[in-house]
Amino acid sequence: MKGLKDRLISGLLLLLSLALCFFSTQKFREQHKKETLFPSGGLASREMLSSYFPGLIDTPGDTEVYIYGGQNPGGNILILGGAHPNEPAGYVTAVLLIENIQVSQGKIIVIPRANNSGFTHSEPQEGNLRGYSLETPGGKRFFRFGSRLTNPIHQWPDPTLYINPSGQKLSGQESRNLNRCYPGKPKGYLTEKIAFAIMEIIKKEKIDLAIDLHEAAPEYPVVNAIVFHENSAELASYSLMELQQIGFEFRLELSPNNLRGLSHREWGDHAQVMAILLETANPSQGRLKGKSSLSLIIEGKDRNYSKAAKFGLLFVPFDGEGIPIKLRVARHLAAIKILLSSFNELNPEKRIEVNHMPSSSQVKLKGIGQFLCPPYRK
Amino acid sequence: MFIVYHLIIFYLVSHFIWYLFRENEFWKRVSVALVLIMFLLRLFLIK
Ligand SMILES: [Zn+2]
Repeated sequence: MKGLKDRLISGLLLLLSLALCFFSTQKFREQHKKETLFPSGGLASREMLSSYFPGLIDTPGDTEVYIYGGQNPGGNILILGGAHPNEPAGYVTAVLLIENIQVSQGKIIVIPRANNSGFTHSEPQEGNLRGYSLETPGGKRFFRFGSRLTNPIHQWPDPTLYINPSGQKLSGQESRNLNRCYPGKPKGYLTEKIAFAIMEIIKKEKIDLAIDLHEAAPEYPVVNAIVFHENSAELASYSLMELQQIGFEFRLELSPNNLRGLSHREWGDHAQVMAILLETANPSQGRLKGKSSLSLIIEGKDRNYSKAAKFGLLFVPFDGEGIPIKLRVARHLAAIKILLSSFNELNPEKRIEVNHMPSSSQVKLKGIGQFLCPPYRK
Repeated sequence: MFIVYHLIIFYLVSHFIWYLFRENEFWKRVSVALVLIMFLLRLFLIK
């Protein structure tokens, strides 16, 4: 038998392990808390995605749906942010819309955290930050920086080979990538259920135009791009010219017919809506990035990327100034605004009228925080 | 599936704790405690 002293030491070590677990758990649990959003006075109603597809009730895939307008009939628009929670400009643009817009004709539906589960964890082995703060006139607002994929705690295990609902073979982990799971399956994986619920919202709300907000790594060819379904070719090319006139260069990319499961393909094929996906350049999700830091997320500065740009390896200009999040959000806002006005030109019988949408030039000039509510407003 | 996973982890955790009290050498016990932390976190499905 061993002495009392030995047992005491073992007991202390056990207690120490438990204590360490307890404290790290506190930080970990915070990841599952959603940050509060403060919708503008123009909000007509707030629903849950599960009200369109009950299969999501009490699952981590359920998420808020913010509805604006609807009193005067017109065009119905869906705007999706946070399909990939490691693409902050998409999420923040959706939040900016929620906290500002008023719709006097037609209807705008915004889903800011399309893959809610992806916001509850971080990508393994990336060393990413838990989130970032944006300065508003009344204090800082914190936003989560999540993962591209659904949390494996919520959907596990991954298949070796994933055959998505449109029959395309992909690597197993893509079963947790919302933008590979369309048109979804009512009895499939959690991510497929979320995709199915989004298809339901498009059909039940009779959406005319659906916009999916994304970002991509600067070394990825489809960046600063408008990806469009052939349904919306006219809208996309019309909008491109308008955007060039106000100084925004975009690439036009037709959604490839053999790339299945993506929003810009399946939304158009299965619900006949005009489907558009917008990409900006986000160095914090790229493969060439250096250390993950706040300045990488907010200011978009990275030495490796400046170097890569000199070698001509990137698809966007990149210098010491970086590509700050406010520029990327401004780009998304400009594209949305122009897409809506082009939509009105092309469909005068289905007009959409939006007021108080933050202008891209003002966001570029004053920053994002000026258009967010302070953290304390109830 | 989760129950099976939990049971495997729980089985390993109980072994580590048993080893922690059986082992004489101090540094070996410290190493056990370090490994134990990872498994306790997994037991509560944390990272
Ligand atoms: Zn994306």
